[in-house]
Amino acid sequence: MTITSNTAATPAAFLRRWWPWIAIIAAALILPFILPPFRLNLLGRFLSLGIVALGIDLIWGYTGLLSLGQGIFFALGGYAIAMYLQLDSLEPGQLPEFFSLYGVKALPLFWQPFNSAWFTLVAIWVIPALVAGLLGYLVFRNRIKGVYFSILTQAALLVFFNFFNGQQKLINGTNGLKTDTASFFGQMVGSDAMQRNLFWITVLLVIAAWYLCRWLTSGRFGDALIAVRDDEPRLRFTGYNPTAFKTVVFTIAGALAGISGALYTVQSGIVSPQFMAVPFSIEMVIWVAVGGRGTLIGAVLGAVLINYAKSLISEQLPETWLFIQGGLFLLVVTALPDGVVGWWRQGGPGRILAMLGSSPATATYPGLDQDPEAQAEKRAIESRAQALESGASQPGGEP
Amino acid sequence: MKPLLELQAVSVSFDGFLALNDLNLALAPGELRAVIGPNGAGKTTFLDVITGKVKPTRGDVRFRGQSLLGISEHRIARLGIGRKFQTPRVYQNLTPRRNLELAVKGSHSPFTLLLGRLNAEQRDRVQELLAVVGLEANASRPAGSLSHGQKQWLEIAMLLAQDPDLLLVDEPVAGLSDEETERTGELLRQLAGDHTVLVIEHDMDFIRELDCPVTVLHEGHVLCEGSMDVVQRDPRVIEVYLGVEDEDVSAGVTSAVATSAVASDSGSHQEIP
Repeated sequence: MTITSNTAATPAAFLRRWWPWIAIIAAALILPFILPPFRLNLLGRFLSLGIVALGIDLIWGYTGLLSLGQGIFFALGGYAIAMYLQLDSLEPGQLPEFFSLYGVKALPLFWQPFNSAWFTLVAIWVIPALVAGLLGYLVFRNRIKGVYFSILTQAALLVFFNFFNGQQKLINGTNGLKTDTASFFGQMVGSDAMQRNLFWITVLLVIAAWYLCRWLTSGRFGDALIAVRDDEPRLRFTGYNPTAFKTVVFTIAGALAGISGALYTVQSGIVSPQFMAVPFSIEMVIWVAVGGRGTLIGAVLGAVLINYAKSLISEQLPETWLFIQGGLFLLVVTALPDGVVGWWRQGGPGRILAMLGSSPATATYPGLDQDPEAQAEKRAIESRAQALESGASQPGGEP
Repeated sequence: MKPLLELQAVSVSFDGFLALNDLNLALAPGELRAVIGPNGAGKTTFLDVITGKVKPTRGDVRFRGQSLLGISEHRIARLGIGRKFQTPRVYQNLTPRRNLELAVKGSHSPFTLLLGRLNAEQRDRVQELLAVVGLEANASRPAGSLSHGQKQWLEIAMLLAQDPDLLLVDEPVAGLSDEETERTGELLRQLAGDHTVLVIEHDMDFIRELDCPVTVLHEGHVLCEGSMDVVQRDPRVIEVYLGVEDEDVSAGVTSAVATSAVASDSGSHQEIP
């Protein structure tokens, strides 16, 4: 015991354990000063998409629920923050500008609470969570699953899309709500200084969301989610109610999507019904598939890297991106079912090296190194040999 | 004694096909009972009805005097009815230890799982069961990599972890070696008494080893009940089994009938002194 604690205290061991975090913190502190504001803003937006991807990893990667409607909850979070910002930048007695276009004289009732910053901070995640919880409960209670669940979520997405698109008098319909010219704490939301702060908030929230998801999936609750995915009836006969687990996890994913949508909105400068477009919700699923289902970190990496690649490639060759994205998805489905992170963890890079001829030396019977029973036996023999040795070397230990 | 489980005139109809037809059966507390029957006799449907997976078209299922009709599967399980499936169904991506930790008796609500921890008693129980089924060395690798026999035993351990009053065990020794079969039989006999155990099995030698009352199902109906010797001499049973095209089963019965004669002979010899 003392030996291990000693080694853990050395700087080298500390570095080995913590280097990813050190790198992340260093990058988060330095990047805002070396990246041009435009690039930093993109990175912040893509990181915020990592949070909705984490939620999808929870419900799809762990629990096996493929939702094609996460855009609903994403947009709800975005609308919540946008409504607050619209109201916050007004003089007393004024109405947001667009209302006058449609002849609306009084603020609609549901806008009123968004005068409060505290209400908004809660609404960003509670409203999407409630909608997700209600939708989830009704669907799961009726034991709708698999492809029917996916179709249902997509149908719900279309319902929300069409509703938001048509309500000019309530939320400016298809034009959406702008946030970049709104002011917050006396600063323009679109200003560089504000965007830098938002970048840091995003980094912190991504880390917090990742920790939350890791906590959810590491214990018995996470095991139950995996059991729901792998054999739901079996879990039922053990005395579990899968409906409760699915509803809880779908609600959490909804809340994460809401937070993600709010962060994305303030960094994009606008929220519109396009957040609930069908392709966008499908793209979210692709990020998770490419990054790696059931790996959490893969979801964040997938969201950030694919979106960064999308923006870089679209700048150069605008018409090729959809082909590349489609190809990426095909590649993952056919060759990397566990995504890039899953492939990495299963020793994928080593296999590539082996294919290229520079394979690392392996034991003749690698199976023996992995067989726990063989290993247990080996340990037993070794400890017995050690006991014999120490017994023999002790003076007077044996007659 | 009041029966623990009672099926009263249960019929199950799948689009007109009667999987169970006016089935009556009662299990006394602490009883060990074997159920046999040719393929398609309704054995699995019979378990489905008890565990709430299939709703009977007619009749009633009572557990400790309470009707189970209309109660969902997980509530029936919580009342104290555990089930082991025909093919081993363990959570392949979880380790045997985690499989058992999910099954171990206690609250199964999402919030308990999230915020609570296993208490010392539950942890000890998991460790003990890993030892009982000989999976200690394999406790930390995915259950999907276990052999078929190990999976069977893991599922039996999961059933024990659940600590139900009534154990419904569907083909526990399918695909097991002779030694494993013997140990499984021993385990089930030990459980009876404290628990009520219902075993569905094709392996006649195994049922003989269990040495318990046997119920023969045929076409969704109880054909006859009694000790193995009585059942095997029943001409209706022989006809039902020999009528089946599956040669293995019929061969099994005829050889079992032969051994039963020997066994009863040796039994009578023992009685003489």
